Amino acid sequence: MIQISDLIFSWPGQPLATLHISNLHIAKGEKLFLHGPSGSGKSTLLGLLAGIQTAQQGNITILGQDLGQLSDANRDKFRADHIGTIFQNFNLLPYLSPVENVILGCNFSDRRTATLKSANSTANQQAITLLEELGIDELCRSRSVGELSIGQQQRVAAARAFIGQPELIIADEPTSALDADNRDVFIKQLFEQADHYQATVLFVSHDNSLADLFDRKVSLQEINGACR
Amino acid sequence: MNLITLAFKSILNRKASVLLTLFTIAISVMLLLSIERVRQEAKQSFSSTISGTDLIVGARTGDIQLLLSSVFRIGHANNGLSWQSYQYIKDQRGVAWTIPISLGDSHKGFSVLGSDENYFQYYRYGKKQSLTFTYGRAYHNAQEVVIGSEVAKQLHYHVGQQIIVAHGMGNTSFHNHDDNPLTIVGILEPTGTPVDKTLHVPLKAIELMHDSAHTNDARIISNEHEHEHEHEHEHEHEHEHEHEHDNVEHKHHNHKAHDLSALESEPGDLIGHPKQLTAFLMGFDSPLYTLQVRRNINTYKPEALSAIMPGVTLRELWGMLDIVEKILLLFSVVVVLISLLGMLTTLLSSLSQRRRELAILRSVGARPKHIFSLMCSEAVLITVLGSLIGVVLFYLLMLIGQGVLQAQFGISISLSLLSYYELMLLGVIMCTGAVIGTIPAIRAYFYSLNDGMSIKL
Repeated sequence: MIQISDLIFSWPGQPLATLHISNLHIAKGEKLFLHGPSGSGKSTLLGLLAGIQTAQQGNITILGQDLGQLSDANRDKFRADHIGTIFQNFNLLPYLSPVENVILGCNFSDRRTATLKSANSTANQQAITLLEELGIDELCRSRSVGELSIGQQQRVAAARAFIGQPELIIADEPTSALDADNRDVFIKQLFEQADHYQATVLFVSHDNSLADLFDRKVSLQEINGACR
Repeated sequence: MNLITLAFKSILNRKASVLLTLFTIAISVMLLLSIERVRQEAKQSFSSTISGTDLIVGARTGDIQLLLSSVFRIGHANNGLSWQSYQYIKDQRGVAWTIPISLGDSHKGFSVLGSDENYFQYYRYGKKQSLTFTYGRAYHNAQEVVIGSEVAKQLHYHVGQQIIVAHGMGNTSFHNHDDNPLTIVGILEPTGTPVDKTLHVPLKAIELMHDSAHTNDARIISNEHEHEHEHEHEHEHEHEHEHEHDNVEHKHHNHKAHDLSALESEPGDLIGHPKQLTAFLMGFDSPLYTLQVRRNINTYKPEALSAIMPGVTLRELWGMLDIVEKILLLFSVVVVLISLLGMLTTLLSSLSQRRRELAILRSVGARPKHIFSLMCSEAVLITVLGSLIGVVLFYLLMLIGQGVLQAQFGISISLSLLSYYELMLLGVIMCTGAVIGTIPAIRAYFYSLNDGMSIKL
């Protein structure tokens, strides 16, 4: 699913590398917990995986596609087609309804639209199904995004990540703004969806107590050779 | 949901600041369009005041002064020209027609113009249009008057009505008398020129008016004398008054009856024996004569005269106003620019708050070029909406201002569709808006390149 080998990345103008990962493999369908306290190069790694930045050396292969081989525009397209993202908080555009927020990504991805079409569904229908599955009922859907609780907002964001069945879900500290109960419910629902849609989950957090819920735990500090 | 809808919803989300920007742009567009429309209509009505006239001749004075006094009824001609000179020049070779003009009198603030039948036959305005009558016909004798459309409208005059025309300028005339009542025999169609605000009488009527004015002067003196006397005979006085009252009422009753019978008058002498004219208009068989006759008039020995070509002098006069016109245009352009810069400020300041929004869009697969076009379309949407509202406001303003402009300045504003020039102005504004919109768009582009999906606050 994801293969990172001999990756070296440094920000322009900085003499030292920010990231140096000799080998990281994530299998298809795996739910990986990546432990990354701040300063461990977490954001940089996510940027590289999403194709915002490109590495100076080494390569990242996702779904058999070497990201370094793609042009800027194609990397953006690749992200739109294959990767769903959930942020820490404030994931949603405040001026769109929950459903509109969920289908936002379909505007930029032909593949997701095509997937929906082959499943005999429209973006709207699929968004409602996803939101239902994540426990956002009709009453919540009719509200504006700002009126939703943070837990509900994160679930809308999860629905957005899953729509059109991308193969990889990157979750960047999605539960840090949630209390313990909500956090566990959220992760449980995330896994259900991932199993349902056969997606690989890369869950990044500084909170080690969550690690037990996952298939595997990797500490970014340990694998990042630049972080010493 | 495409980018335009997204831009639109994003704008709606920032209603307050965007509405203000929209309003500024709308007001500035309204201002620019209004100034341009009034400027053009003013120029139009200005240059269409007189046409088809080759020369205007008057006593020696400045070209512009002669034009203003003879055509626009602004200011006074200091001197007149003698009837003999008029007769002499009139008979020159190549002269097709002449229109004598005698000005200087007024009726309730409207100027009175003495002329002859040539006035209705040869006077042209606008695109060589001749004067036409809404009601009635031209005057036939010295007891008749033809009034302009504004005079009829403002004073509620109608054909067949009898009016008194006084000697002297201004509203308050001391020589008011009922010796020479004139019958209204014609009302002219609106022309949008000073003709609308003019009462046209035969030269002879002016002469009669002045003659009687002189006798009237004497009468006033004797009246005053009588007045002292009358104090002793108050009874008699009251009696007289009542009698006068009866007379007036009687007249009123007969107005309607007059209407038709008034038009069936006997043609009579229109010219009389005038000694002086204010000016006269000339037309030639061929324009070739114009310069030659003009030179002859300017060097005419018995009297100091000047002849002007109205087209040339009109341009000269408009040229003097040109700078004012340009400054007005400049100001309104600057106001539009300021409003667009206001939009730039709003967009730029909102941009830093919107980096999160951009990061979210990036995370769902928006490319930097999408971000760029999103920001651009916001600017374009604001400018286009602002311009549209501006056009609506412009028409509202014109609708309201129409009456005032016509009444105060004689500028008739047509509520016609936008001209090519005005559409071009709007186009330029929208293009400028789009160009200005690229500035925040470029910034957003680089933000989204550098920030990527990482959310920075």
